[in-house]
This record gives sequence, structure tokens and C-alpha cells, in this order.
Amino acid sequence: MLTSENVTYRYKKNKRTILDSVNYSLEEGCFSAVMGESGSGKSTFLAVMAGILKPLEGTVRYNDVDLYELKDKELSRIHRNSICYVPQSNIMLKNITVLENIVNPYLETASDEDLKEKAVSLLEKLGIGNLAGNYPYELSGGELKRASIVRAALMDPKVIIADEPTTGLDKETGNRILSFLSEYAKAGNSVLVATHDEHIEGYADNILRLERS
Amino acid sequence: MLFSGSIIKGSLDKGMDNMDRRLGSDIMLVPKGSREQAENLLLEGQRGTFYFDGSVDDKVKDIEGISEVTSQCFLKSLSADCCSSEVELVFYDPDTDFVVGPWIETNYKSDLKKDNVIVGSDIVTENGTIKLFGKDYEVVSQMAKTGTALDSSVYFSDESMASVIADAEEKNSFLTEEQKDGDILSSVFINLKDGYNEDDVIRECHAKAGDVFDVVYPKQLNESLSDNLLRITDIVGAVVLIGGILLFGILVLINSVIIESRKQEVALLRVLGNSKSKMALMLISETGAVSLFGSLVGCLLGALIVIPFGRYIGMSLSMPYLGPSFIGASVQVIVIMAIVFLVALVSSILFVFHVTGIEPYLALKKEAE
Ligand SMILES: Nc1ncnc2c1ncn2[C@@H]1O[C@H](COP(=O)(O)OP(=O)(O)O)[C@@H](O)[C@H]1O
Ligand SMILES: [Mg+2]
Repeated sequence: MLTSENVTYRYKKNKRTILDSVNYSLEEGCFSAVMGESGSGKSTFLAVMAGILKPLEGTVRYNDVDLYELKDKELSRIHRNSICYVPQSNIMLKNITVLENIVNPYLETASDEDLKEKAVSLLEKLGIGNLAGNYPYELSGGELKRASIVRAALMDPKVIIADEPTTGLDKETGNRILSFLSEYAKAGNSVLVATHDEHIEGYADNILRLERS
Repeated sequence: MLFSGSIIKGSLDKGMDNMDRRLGSDIMLVPKGSREQAENLLLEGQRGTFYFDGSVDDKVKDIEGISEVTSQCFLKSLSADCCSSEVELVFYDPDTDFVVGPWIETNYKSDLKKDNVIVGSDIVTENGTIKLFGKDYEVVSQMAKTGTALDSSVYFSDESMASVIADAEEKNSFLTEEQKDGDILSSVFINLKDGYNEDDVIRECHAKAGDVFDVVYPKQLNESLSDNLLRITDIVGAVVLIGGILLFGILVLINSVIIESRKQEVALLRVLGNSKSKMALMLISETGAVSLFGSLVGCLLGALIVIPFGRYIGMSLSMPYLGPSFIGASVQVIVIMAIVFLVALVSSILFVFHVTGIEPYLALKKEAE
């Protein structure tokens, strides 16, 4: 479904090649994980796969479409409907509620009410339905992370890519998130996460290990 | 600031432009010893009481090299029944006039009848008439605003002079013997034919009319004043220009801060499927709205300062100052808002391209780490 071919990446300020000709394939229905020590390039790899960081060399294809050859509008459509990325940090606007943070990015494509209804049901599924009307600063890290995942999952994308979704969270919350993502993948989608979390072994279908080169 | 500066400059320029037209004669003969008063009249519009014999204009008008001659007579400080402040009366000859004519705002042809008057812009009329020494005069025209004491003058045809003086006497207004005599003039305006030398003509005038007058050169006076004014309007202009540059710098700074601070948000929105162009539009319209609002507030504040104090500014510069009309000011507000808006637009576009140009992943990470 989402494949990389000879993906190479090097940061401008950094001589070191972070990703060296990586070939990878994310299959439908799979919950996949990327592991590796800090600085091994997990985040970089996820960003390249998500279509938000253009690799120096190589291609990333979604259903045989090269993401980095697309026009901005077309890539945007894919990001809206098909490939959703959850950054490691929880980015929320402070002056609007959690629910508004979740639905606002999509307001152009669907009605406010439909989106909110959907968001609340997803929040409930992750156990934080009661926090929808709260402001982001009133939430804990784990709660914010779950809200971020709901925001990514709102339009039912085929692919969710999440960078360290459980890092820094307690075991219970981490497992809750992992099982949600695993379930999401099982429903005919794909999920790719970067993680240090050992519990991933119990959820992921396959694990890519990156070495620090 | 931009607004008030340009209003001041515009008003002084306008006052000056009017001045040019007011001083529309090559030379001006005034009674001997009253040159200074006459110069004050020209520069500040302060009337004086100075007279010479009423035949001076006839004596000089056939001199070789003179193309036009017209004369005026002033009665200063005659308190009239009509007005609270003092009014100054000017008698001129509509047939030969070339000095008052250009001032008349509404179209008015030169046949000013005996009971007709033209009034300065500050004179308030009642149903088109004005009462002077118990007699009603029909106001046939009102002059354009000059920003000087001329605005509170009333202009009569010279034919009315005798009867006005008679009325004034009857009403016990204080008149000098000279004024009662009636056959007097205050100044004679002369335009020369091309190619004639002023000095030759003046010498000839002396020969014909005797040694009864001093000469004032309105155009020279005007030039020195113009120089003065040019310097001031240049300074104001420079301030406006510097203000403009500052404005651009400040807007660039503000926009860069606003937009930088939203880098992460923009990156997130893009990751969630909002296109670059949509983001650009969002940012530009936001900075645009902010700057429009800001410039509107600025203009209002500027107006609050400049409009009430405008006269005072003109006075302290001892310059003719013509304030903007409401429409003029509105146009200026619109022009300035358009400028500010454009500047804001240009400065924000720079940053918008910068912000939407970077890879979303890198922008997302920036503040997170
Ligand atoms: N913006 C950047 N500029 C330069 N080097 C970077 C940048 N981001 C990450 N790196 C380097 O790239 C390497 C991989 O980073 P990252 O993909 O974040 O690793 P991981 O997520 O596995 O910890 C690190 O060694 C880091 O120093
Ligand atoms: Mg990382």
C-alpha cells in the first residue's frame, strides 16, 4: 500500500546519512513498527513515508503514486483522506477546545456537526469522551496524545503514521493507544509507528529495526 | 503618523496654491508708508487702513507696458450688525478686476450690482442675504476658503462705496475724515505686458501720479514665502517618507513574528491535508485584516490630533493653512489604508512563502524540541 524505494536522507547541517537506501513496504491490514535507538532516524523515516519530508533520493509510493511528484493540492488531498501523520509532540491551539482542535482542520470537507459527532465517538473509544469540551492545557500528556490520534483518524485515512505515540506515558494508557491503533489497522487500514516501547511486540505485525549508521 | 503628516503637507500646499492665485499681480501700488501693512495683507490677509487718492488708478492706467490695472479700497474693522466678529469691507471694480475673480468659488460673472456682495468663506449668510448698517445685501457668491483673514471679508462693487459709507455714518460707525471723503483707494494692482521692465513702468507711474505710493512685488513676496513653505513641506514630506520606511520595517517585523509563531500550526494543518495555497491565503488575510484595522485606528488617532490643531499648526508656522475637507480626508484615509495594506501584503507574502515553503516535518519539529 505504502512503499519506499531506495530512500536516502541526510540533513543539510549534518554530514551523516541518516537513511541509506531504505526499501520498505507497509501492507494493508498491518500494524507495523519502526524501532531503533535514539538518533537512528526513526522520526526521519516516518516523515519521509508520510509525505512530509522529501528524501534526497528514492521514491515513496502510495498505491503506485509517487508522493513527491504530486502537486501540492493533490498531496494535500492524500493527507486529508489517506495518509495521516501524528507528530511526536502534541500540537494543539491553546485558545480553542480539544474538540475544536480535532475538527477545525477538516471543516471545509464536512459539516461541523458530523465531524464533532464522529470525534466524540472516537474520543469515547479512547476513554476521554468527557474531555471534548476542555481546553488543551487542561489535559494530561496521555490525554492529549489520544486526542491527537483522534484528530488523525477522523477522516478514516487508510494509513496512520504515528511518531512515538506511547513514549512517556504510563503502561495502561500506552496499551490503550496501541490496541486502538492495532484495531484500526485490522479494519483494513495500515498503521506505522516509531517506538521504544517493548509492549509493541504484543501488538505489531512486523517490526523494522533501524541502526544508527 | 503617516496620515497626519500627509494631511499637514497637503493643507499647507493647498494654502500655498491659493496664495499664488491671490497674489495674482505683478506689482501693487500702495499708499506711501504702508508697504509693511500691505505685505501683511498679502501674506496673512490682514487688512490695513491705508488710502491714497482715488484717481491714482486712472492716472497710471494708460502707461505704456501696463496690460491690466484694477484697484481696491478697504474699510477695516467696521463692526457690522450681521456678524459677531469684525468684518472687513473691500470695494473693488468688477469691470477691471483680475484679483478677486479667481477666488470666487461659485460661478459668478463680473456684473456685481449695487446691492450685491461677495463674501469670504467664513461669513455666515441668512437666506442668501447679509445685513450691513441696516441694509440688506444679496450675497451672490461666496469665496473659496483661503485660511486667512480674507475669509471674513465682504466684497462690494466700487459703485456701492458711497452708499455704504453713508449708511455707516448714519449708524454712527466710526469713520475717519478720509473714509468719509469717499474718493479713496487702498491699493492698485498692475499687471505688465510681456517684455516690459518693472522699474521703467514704476518710474513712469511716479511721473504720472506723483510720489504718493510705495511698491510691493507680490510675486517676489510669494517666492520667498514659497521657499519657506517648501522647506517646511519638504521636512514634513521627509518625515512622512521616513515614517513610511519605518512602517514597512515595523510591519515586516510584526508579520514575521506573527507568522513565525504560527509556523507549527500551519505545518500541522498542512500535514492534515490543507494545501499551501489555502494556508497562504489564511495567513495573508489575517495579516491584512490586522494591518487594515491598525491603519484605521492610526488614521483616526491622527485625525484627532491634526484636525483640531491644524489651524494652530498653520498659525505657528505663520503659513496659510487650509484644512482638508471631509471628503479629502476620507480619500486620504482610504489611500493610506491602501498603502498600509499593500505594504502589509508585500511584507507578509515574503514570510508566507517562507513558512509554507519549508518541509512540514521540519516546521513541526522546530518548537517541539
Ligand atoms: N533538523 C535536523 N537537522 C539536522 N540534523 C537532524 C535534524 N533532525 C534530526 N537530525 C539528526 O538526524 C538523526 C536522526 O534523527 P531522528 O530521525 O529524529 O532520530 P530518532 O527519531 O530515531 O531519534 C539524529 O542524529 C539527529 O541528530
Ligand atoms: Mg524520534
